Amino acid sequence: MAATTDREEHTDAAPEAPEPRRRGPGPIAMAVSVFGELLITAGLVLGLFVVYSLWWTNVLADRKADQEGDKVRDNWATSESSGPGALDTKDGIGFLHVPAMNKDEILIKKGTSTELLNDGVAGYYTDPVKATLPTSGKDGNFSLAAHRDGHGAKFHDIHKLKKGDPIVFETKDKWYVYKVYAVLPETSKYNVKVLDAIPKESGKKKAGKYITLTTCTPVFTSRYRYVVWGELERVEKVDGERTVPEELR
Amino acid sequence: MYGWIWRHLPGNAWVKALISLVLILAVVYVLFQYVFPWAEPLLPFNDVTVDNQ
Repeated sequence: MAATTDREEHTDAAPEAPEPRRRGPGPIAMAVSVFGELLITAGLVLGLFVVYSLWWTNVLADRKADQEGDKVRDNWATSESSGPGALDTKDGIGFLHVPAMNKDEILIKKGTSTELLNDGVAGYYTDPVKATLPTSGKDGNFSLAAHRDGHGAKFHDIHKLKKGDPIVFETKDKWYVYKVYAVLPETSKYNVKVLDAIPKESGKKKAGKYITLTTCTPVFTSRYRYVVWGELERVEKVDGERTVPEELR
Repeated sequence: MYGWIWRHLPGNAWVKALISLVLILAVVYVLFQYVFPWAEPLLPFNDVTVDNQ
């Protein structure tokens, strides 16, 4: 700082003074000052990156997810006459409601690629273990992933889910009501067994209709995975007014 | 570095301050629009799935 002021005063006093005669700070002082400024800049950029990750990506993802969700609802409304049947997996297969975790609905799409999850949706696994969709009516595991932080942070409050809490999956004509029965607060990211059709780590030994939520933990990092398991309790038909099941009231 | 930039901006202090602000906004825009989206997948903060890799 002092060096800069010195030089400026000098320049003001003798504006026509030629460059070589100017007595600025020595080369070492210059180098230290530039290095310091670079460090400050790096700090600011890292700070901005935090703002970007934890705030801006949420803004973008929520905007995108809202648009996509509206599109799915519009499709459901307009294709009323065609009746149940064809499942449109491209736009999203339905919505997840987890009142204990998130007041809003979470759009569910096919796949767990980064680009897909970055749009503020939950994705069902197609790899390494393929999820069984509840709409198929078969026994299996409906395994989902979503972001814990940034990009909508749809599973941010997954740690608030306790045993017995409802997880409701909404499709065009059915409500699938699940109840949480097991939580694994920390596991390796290579532990793909949690996605198995019969997730043994949750304590289940028989085939059934399960749901698995996975995300990263601890918050703000992705060193481990957090897993929540639920089991299908009942299926309700969607009525004309789309009255929500009692768990969501 | 910043002193050098400041001295090389044209105009009086107000104009310089205005140009500086525009430059800062431009840098923030480039960071948010291009640099951070590129850097984010390379950093291990946001992997949420379990997999074999």
